[in-house]
Amino acid sequence: MRATIKGKMAAVAALSAAVLVLSGCGGGSEAAGSGGSATSGEVNLIAYSGVWQDQYTAAVIEPFQAKYPDIKINYASKRSSAEMLSALQGQKNNPATDVAIMDNSVSTTGNKQGLFEKVDEESVPNLANVPEKFRDKEAYGPVAMLDAVGLVYDTATFPEAPDSWKVLWDPAYAGKINVNAPPSLLGLSLTAITSKMEGEDYTQGIDSAVTRLKEMAPGVQTFAPNPDEYQNVITGQTVLGLGQNARGQFYSDQSNKKMGVTFPKEGTVYQINTINLVKDAPHSEAAKTFVDYALSAEAQTAFAKALFYAPSVTNAELPADVKDRVVPTDGSLNIVPLDVEFLSSARDKWTDTWKRQIITN
Amino acid sequence: MTVLEAPAAPERPSAQDEGQLERATERRNRRTYLALLLPGLLGLLVSFVFPLAYMVRMSFNQGAPDGVIVETFTLDTYIQPLTDPYYWRVTLDTFQMGVTVGILCVIVSYPVALFLARSTSKWRGLLVAIAIAPLLTSAVVRTYGWMVILGTNGLINSSLGGLGLIDTPLKLTNNMTGVTIGLVEIFMPYAILAMISGFGRLSPQLEEAAGSLGASKFKVFTRVTLPLCLPGLLTAFLLVFVLSISTFITPRLLGGGSVQVLATEIYDQTTGLLNWPFAAALSVILLVLFGLIIAVYQRLTKKIGG
Repeated sequence: MRATIKGKMAAVAALSAAVLVLSGCGGGSEAAGSGGSATSGEVNLIAYSGVWQDQYTAAVIEPFQAKYPDIKINYASKRSSAEMLSALQGQKNNPATDVAIMDNSVSTTGNKQGLFEKVDEESVPNLANVPEKFRDKEAYGPVAMLDAVGLVYDTATFPEAPDSWKVLWDPAYAGKINVNAPPSLLGLSLTAITSKMEGEDYTQGIDSAVTRLKEMAPGVQTFAPNPDEYQNVITGQTVLGLGQNARGQFYSDQSNKKMGVTFPKEGTVYQINTINLVKDAPHSEAAKTFVDYALSAEAQTAFAKALFYAPSVTNAELPADVKDRVVPTDGSLNIVPLDVEFLSSARDKWTDTWKRQIITN
Repeated sequence: MTVLEAPAAPERPSAQDEGQLERATERRNRRTYLALLLPGLLGLLVSFVFPLAYMVRMSFNQGAPDGVIVETFTLDTYIQPLTDPYYWRVTLDTFQMGVTVGILCVIVSYPVALFLARSTSKWRGLLVAIAIAPLLTSAVVRTYGWMVILGTNGLINSSLGGLGLIDTPLKLTNNMTGVTIGLVEIFMPYAILAMISGFGRLSPQLEEAAGSLGASKFKVFTRVTLPLCLPGLLTAFLLVFVLSISTFITPRLLGGGSVQVLATEIYDQTTGLLNWPFAAALSVILLVLFGLIIAVYQRLTKKIGG
């Protein structure tokens, strides 16, 4: 009897060991190809999540797949560009991603770290329509779309859009403001904008901006709005906040204009996304086909209509009602330049400053 | 194996032989146990020991801006947080949050657990299931639920406003108050479970005996029931405390960026600033903190138990 129980126990032990070994061996075993075909196979794309993913899928990926039915796009979504960079760094020796669409402050870092491939007009013909100012100086991934930081407001409280960032300091709205603190790009941008408003050169120091932001902090309801900066205003949790123009325009429509987004007169900061080919990508040929399509007038127009991002190509024609709502790229908007090279060195410091000096409870 | 073959000559095994036989069986048993443990140990090795070792190694690297990790061996990642008052404050806040949530959770869970432990109703099973049913919903969903309840226009503020009790909404979320309320509710099922299993020595007969000897209900509770419940209460407190100081999602969602605890700091360093070595060092510090607390707990339970 004892022996049989023992036998059974041994069998269970052996079985579980086998299961463990099998499950351990079940990982991906896709061999790295030599780039594959340009019109078939798959493309592993890494880009933003949420509404961005939904709209990009509908406006760009689905029409692409209709055009190239033999190429499958696998979309891996990330909440931020930093998370994308982190994923790509992890894959550096054995890339699994082909294309990454991310913020240019982060893609510049990726370029420096050798994570991306250069792009030329031969393999990506539509690059010819990307003006010089939207191309990388060293021919890495070009700009795919542009947006800018806006002031998000509740239309019931503000029948007229506020025209100045100073409204964030107005005691009348204390406790009803959401500000995304750094490392969010929104918070980094507000730091640069405040610095400029104070007549300071933020590359030299941000003391005056910090003093001003400290005055604003007690009136801030949340420094990390949840579910996001737009829903907070739509649900009435707050009446003012930072946000991005593109998503702001989208949610303004979604909420039946309960929320609006505007560019205050003191200026704003561009938020620029680049499209990047991953170095030694497993499906580099199909990836180039996709990048070319993403830079086509068709895809650029469709995405501008869907999520109000400004196109980066000269041949995209937007309908007047869309054109009025995407960020102007013709120099007509007051822009606070936030240099990406500078930002990569300042991100840590500014985040620290916010945590230690500005956000205090 | 030779031991098994040896006792052949005597008809009745001597005491010495019996001892040898026992030892042989023991050895064989040990091997079986080992074989049984092996899959689990392997699983632990792959899923726990390796990542932990990787994390400890990572904590000695140097994090350069933009996620560049310089492979080296430095103590800077530890010296920085240990010499910086900001991280001491974050650690202290984490600790305070754990203690507050632990105490409150024990206080609100104790009556429920005591009722369930003593209940003789045929519905007891169902009642226990109901008490721990919140575990079926993810903590993220429940946290979002609290955001709705505690918000400026949430259930509490609109009710109080509607009754004319307040003019301006109370700030119940995006601060430590919100995080504490959320965590206490989220960890209640764990506390109740830990208490029920820790109330082993609680017996109605002892309470009845105390009562029949003239002790008032209050005295029975303070002199008999509560002392017998202490191991369960302590286990529940420790469990909730440990869960609280390591929790990320609730402080993140209900803290509104103003609640800075070790877990949110680790998250920011990992995903926002990509400083993995520094995040790893903070994680090791958190682990050491855990270790110390568990050691103290074991001493305490020994004292109470003994």
